[in-house]
Amino acid sequence: MITLTDFMVVSAVLFCTGLFIIVSKKNAIQILIGIELMLNAAILNLVAFGKYDRVNNSGQIFALFAIILAAATTAVALAIILNVYKQYKTINPDQIKDLKD
Amino acid sequence: MNLLTLLIFTPVLFGLIILVLPSSMRASFKYITLFATLLQLAFSIFIYVNFNADAAHAGISHEAQYQFVQKLPWINLNLGGAGKMQIEYYVGIDGISVTLLVMTALVMVVAAVASWEIKSNLKGFFALFLLLDMAVVGVFCALDFFLFYTFYELMLLPLYFLIGMWGGARREYAAIKFFLYTLFGSVFMLLVMIGLYLSVKDPVTGNHTFNMVQMMDPKNFIDGSVFSILSHQTIMGMPARTVGFVVLFIAFAIKVPVVPLHTWLPDAHVEAPTPVSIILAGVLLKIGGYGIIRICLGIFPDVAHSGAFWLGLLGIISILYGAFNALAQRDLKRMIAYSSVSHMGFVLLGIASQTAEGISGAVLQMVSHGFLSTMLFFLVGVVYSRVHDRDIYHFRGLATLMPRYTVYVMVAFFASLGLPGFSAFVAEAFTLAGAFKSHNINGLLPYWMAVCGSVGILLSAAYFLWTLQRMFFGTISLKGGDFWKGALTDIDWRERLTLLPLAIMALALGIMPSLVLGKINESVLALVQYLQLK
Amino acid sequence: MKEAILPQELQTIYLTILIVLLPFAAFILNFLFLNKSKASGWVSTIAILISSIFSIFVFTAIWNGPVIHVQTIWFTIGDSQVHAGLLLNNLSVLMLALVPLVALPVHIYSTAYMKDDAGYGRYFRYLSFFCFSMLALVVVDNLVLFYAFWELVGFASYLLIGFWFDRPAAVQANKKAFIMNRIGDIGLLTAIIIIYTLFGTFDLEKLFGAEGFVTRYSYIENGTWSFYLNHVLHVPVSRGWTVMAPHTVTQIPAIWQYVAFGGIFLGVAAKSAQFPLHTWLPDAMEGPTSVSALIHAATMVAAGVFLLGRVYPMFNTTELNILAAVGCFTAFMAATIALTQTDLKRILAYSTISQLGYMVMAMGIGAYASSLFHLVTHAFFKCLLFLCAGIVIHQIKHVKEDNHLDIDPQDLANMGGLRKKLPVTFVATLIAGLALIGLPLTSGYLSKEGILVQAFEWAELKGGAFMLIPVFASITSWLTAFYVARMILKVFYGDMNLSKLYPNITIHIGDGGWRYQLPLIMLALCSLFPLFSLNPLAHSGWLTGGLPQYGQYTAGLVELMVPVIINVGSIAMLYYAYMAYIKQRDKVAAQPSLLHRISFNEWYIDAFYQRVIVRAVMTFSKALYWFDLKVIDGLVNLFERIARCIAGAAAWFDKYIVDGLLHLAAALVAYIGGIARRFQNGKVQYYLFSMLLAVIVVFILKILIWNS
Repeated sequence: MITLTDFMVVSAVLFCTGLFIIVSKKNAIQILIGIELMLNAAILNLVAFGKYDRVNNSGQIFALFAIILAAATTAVALAIILNVYKQYKTINPDQIKDLKD
Repeated sequence: MNLLTLLIFTPVLFGLIILVLPSSMRASFKYITLFATLLQLAFSIFIYVNFNADAAHAGISHEAQYQFVQKLPWINLNLGGAGKMQIEYYVGIDGISVTLLVMTALVMVVAAVASWEIKSNLKGFFALFLLLDMAVVGVFCALDFFLFYTFYELMLLPLYFLIGMWGGARREYAAIKFFLYTLFGSVFMLLVMIGLYLSVKDPVTGNHTFNMVQMMDPKNFIDGSVFSILSHQTIMGMPARTVGFVVLFIAFAIKVPVVPLHTWLPDAHVEAPTPVSIILAGVLLKIGGYGIIRICLGIFPDVAHSGAFWLGLLGIISILYGAFNALAQRDLKRMIAYSSVSHMGFVLLGIASQTAEGISGAVLQMVSHGFLSTMLFFLVGVVYSRVHDRDIYHFRGLATLMPRYTVYVMVAFFASLGLPGFSAFVAEAFTLAGAFKSHNINGLLPYWMAVCGSVGILLSAAYFLWTLQRMFFGTISLKGGDFWKGALTDIDWRERLTLLPLAIMALALGIMPSLVLGKINESVLALVQYLQLK
Repeated sequence: MKEAILPQELQTIYLTILIVLLPFAAFILNFLFLNKSKASGWVSTIAILISSIFSIFVFTAIWNGPVIHVQTIWFTIGDSQVHAGLLLNNLSVLMLALVPLVALPVHIYSTAYMKDDAGYGRYFRYLSFFCFSMLALVVVDNLVLFYAFWELVGFASYLLIGFWFDRPAAVQANKKAFIMNRIGDIGLLTAIIIIYTLFGTFDLEKLFGAEGFVTRYSYIENGTWSFYLNHVLHVPVSRGWTVMAPHTVTQIPAIWQYVAFGGIFLGVAAKSAQFPLHTWLPDAMEGPTSVSALIHAATMVAAGVFLLGRVYPMFNTTELNILAAVGCFTAFMAATIALTQTDLKRILAYSTISQLGYMVMAMGIGAYASSLFHLVTHAFFKCLLFLCAGIVIHQIKHVKEDNHLDIDPQDLANMGGLRKKLPVTFVATLIAGLALIGLPLTSGYLSKEGILVQAFEWAELKGGAFMLIPVFASITSWLTAFYVARMILKVFYGDMNLSKLYPNITIHIGDGGWRYQLPLIMLALCSLFPLFSLNPLAHSGWLTGGLPQYGQYTAGLVELMVPVIINVGSIAMLYYAYMAYIKQRDKVAAQPSLLHRISFNEWYIDAFYQRVIVRAVMTFSKALYWFDLKVIDGLVNLFERIARCIAGAAAWFDKYIVDGLLHLAAALVAYIGGIARRFQNGKVQYYLFSMLLAVIVVFILKILIWNS
């Protein structure tokens, strides 16, 4: 039987993979994918915990909302990346240091 | 309105007018200045004519005998436990100052005319000039030590700027040297002045006072105070009164100037513009002599008596040292500056003798030197303004080129070297007579001093005649060639008009020394008597 | 202050004032109005003419008559009044008459002599000024005025020596003359001051009169010179003398009496060109010859002797002996120098020095009257000699200019044979020359023999080494005969040397007009005996009768023998010179001999002064200036430097220590900030990483804290 723990482990692995991608990759698109992975880990947790909720299927509904929101933010993020590329001719975050003090 | 007050403040009034007028009217500034000085001269002549020269108006240590007095409370502060601070606007003159006043006023007129050659920043120049005028006249009139000191310090400021801004190539060096030298003297004078203030009480009001005439009376000194004669206080192991005298003497000796405190003079003179040279030599040096008579001798007669030998020795050294140095010069202005040192040495010698002849001779010498040095410096200015060179070796045969100028040069030179018929002769002869006589009258100076002093007269002939021969006689030969020949035109009417009154004064004082001696005699006698009483 | 003046005295006084002031008026007139005009010469001449006429009136009124002394207060200094006044006694009226009488011919002569000069007006201006000063000098009654005019005559002489101021030699000479006279002046001034200190007055009559303070009421005892006044009460108040309290005693150390003498001696030596201050006079010949005649031969140089006459009672025996010795030495030295000079005017200048030496010597031996007598006779004949020399030089100069030669018109070598061309000049020179030698029938004989006779008598009384003085005076007299003969022979006898040297030149010369000849004739007449004594063989004249004699003499054989010996010697010298120069029998003193060199180079005295004294003074003054610049001003600048060093140190301290602490704090903050700002490197991933780290750290801490 698949227990909550199994879900949690999968989710944690997903989360950590995403985090690793965010910190280490030199491509903004990859970082975006990392973010998506982390988001999906969170959604997985949401669905898994939804079983223990008093209201039925509320987890799944929230998950649906989150997926839609994630798609929206990804669209915005891709637009930003596109603009960054236009501006800097690169999407390597190491070379975009205008956030410096 | 008190005449002396008018005399003092007339120039500064006109100075304010100049400050207010717009710069576009700068052409009128010199006329305003000239008018101010002429007005002042008129006042001073009026004062001279109305000055009462009898024994009842001798002045010196008697307040009631001063003339043209004005006494107003100026700064009165109630200091609570420390009593009341009493500073007065107190002016008045006696025989010692009256002739110097007239001399100053005339020299100022000449200096005003000489400043027509100034071309830059006229407003500043004439305003400072008139401020200076006020200060020097004020010094001769002030009878309150604080007022005296105020005027005395007030002279420095305009002079510093006049030399430092309108001077020659090394003007900053000269101006700062002059400023520091005199400041060095006057700062310590301030200390002595405060010491005197704390030692003297006005017998009427019972307050401490800066009144110089009251400082002359030993009775007004508070028992046990620093400068009291009876209390024998000491400062750093030396008698306090001696210290006070020496400090004041140094302050005035710098002005006179006495060797070895003279080195500011050649530099200041060489760098200063002609009108400032005139004021420096004509008036400023006399303030030193006047200060020694009025303040050093007046307030510390006992120390003056015991230190007379040293004063006389310094006088002799100044006479000889200045003369020898003048002999070694090749810059005409520097030569005249050193000759001033030599001639002012006679003043010190005469004062040190403390005889009537000596002090009269000293005052006469101051007046005479006032006119003569003015003339000499003006004459140097004539050549300098034409070719901007003063080196004696660069000229020869000027007499052929500038005959009128040479006549005035000869008058000035021979008058300065003590040719009878000119003022310096009577002054120097009687200074020496007083110095010689001193041993018999009061035993202050040894006989040999007068004899050494007379060698100065010989040397003055040597350097003046050498200059005449080298620079004015012989065939024409100029360093600047034909260009100079064209530039060296004979003196014009303005210059002649300036020189003529000076030459006439030098001649008049030589033929009628009573013009000065008649006015000063009673005061000098009173001073000598006062000095003998100690 | 004085009793009523008699009317005739008043007239004399006014005349005297006029005599003095007329030349002055001429001076002023010339100075102000007649600057360029030829009239200036005549203004001056007329002034001096009137002065000379008046001076004869005054002379006759005063000579051997009452002394006139009037004064008025000039100025008051302290307790003493300085007077200005006239003192007319025999001595002063003698000079008062002499000066315009000599000046008049010189003026007339000058109107011709200077007529082509550009500075004609200036010349007469100066000349009148000189006459005024000289006349005032002889009549003033006190030492201050005496000193004043004493220096003014020197000043006039300065102006006239340097009359051609574009000639370097002339301006060198006038500078030298004035400075050497200044040495004498300060001596005189010192003497005046000493006298004033002791006696409290400058009045000549009060000091040196018959009842004068110096004469009667001062003495030297125990090393002090005392003035002691308790007799003065006897003096008539009416004569303007102050009555002082009895027993007034003023004293100064006796040494100052000698210093006063020394001062007066210096004054005399400078003015009358005595050794050691004589060197200015030969150089003074750079002036116009007429000036040399008036100032440097007749009048001004005699002022020194006049001064001796004025203050004579002051000297004691030692001092008189010094005067005699110096005078004698000067006379001898100058005569030896005159022997070899080639410049006509220089010969005359040294001759003047020599004769002045005679006068000073005569004063020294007590022959007061003879000294002044010689002064008067010498004034005439020496003036005459100079005027003649002037004509000769003027004519040679004409030749020079006409023919464009390059010669020195004053050199004896260019003269000779002028006797026929210039007859009047020749005769006048001859008379003056004989008077200078002192041959009988001339005025020079009368005065000079008087001095020599008295010198021998004086020395006879004293004995010993004093005998040297009359002996040397006699030798000088013979030397005089020789150089006068040499000069006259070389100028007037023989052949014209110029024509020999330059065969094709034209020579048009002559005595000149009446303005040249009249002065010569006037002066030549005054150089003969009748004006002074009817007996041509006496050795005194009526002049000496009016003046006091101070020496004691034993009339004896000397009186007969001396004139004879002297004159025989002189004539022998004349013959010798005639033989030597005209007949060429004998070579006189071979040229390169040592003695000749010493004589020709004027005993090297002037060279000594130039090389040693002048140079020493100049070096000393340069050294003092160096001292002033480097040591005194150096000290001032050193102070400045020290102050600057201290200020520099303070500035360093301020900059690096005080400010340093502040900067350190700031730097520390900046450093820390620098570390902190490294986090802000703008890398998004870095931010995220650090965030992650922080979260992990928080968790780790939380776990650790919870677990513990």
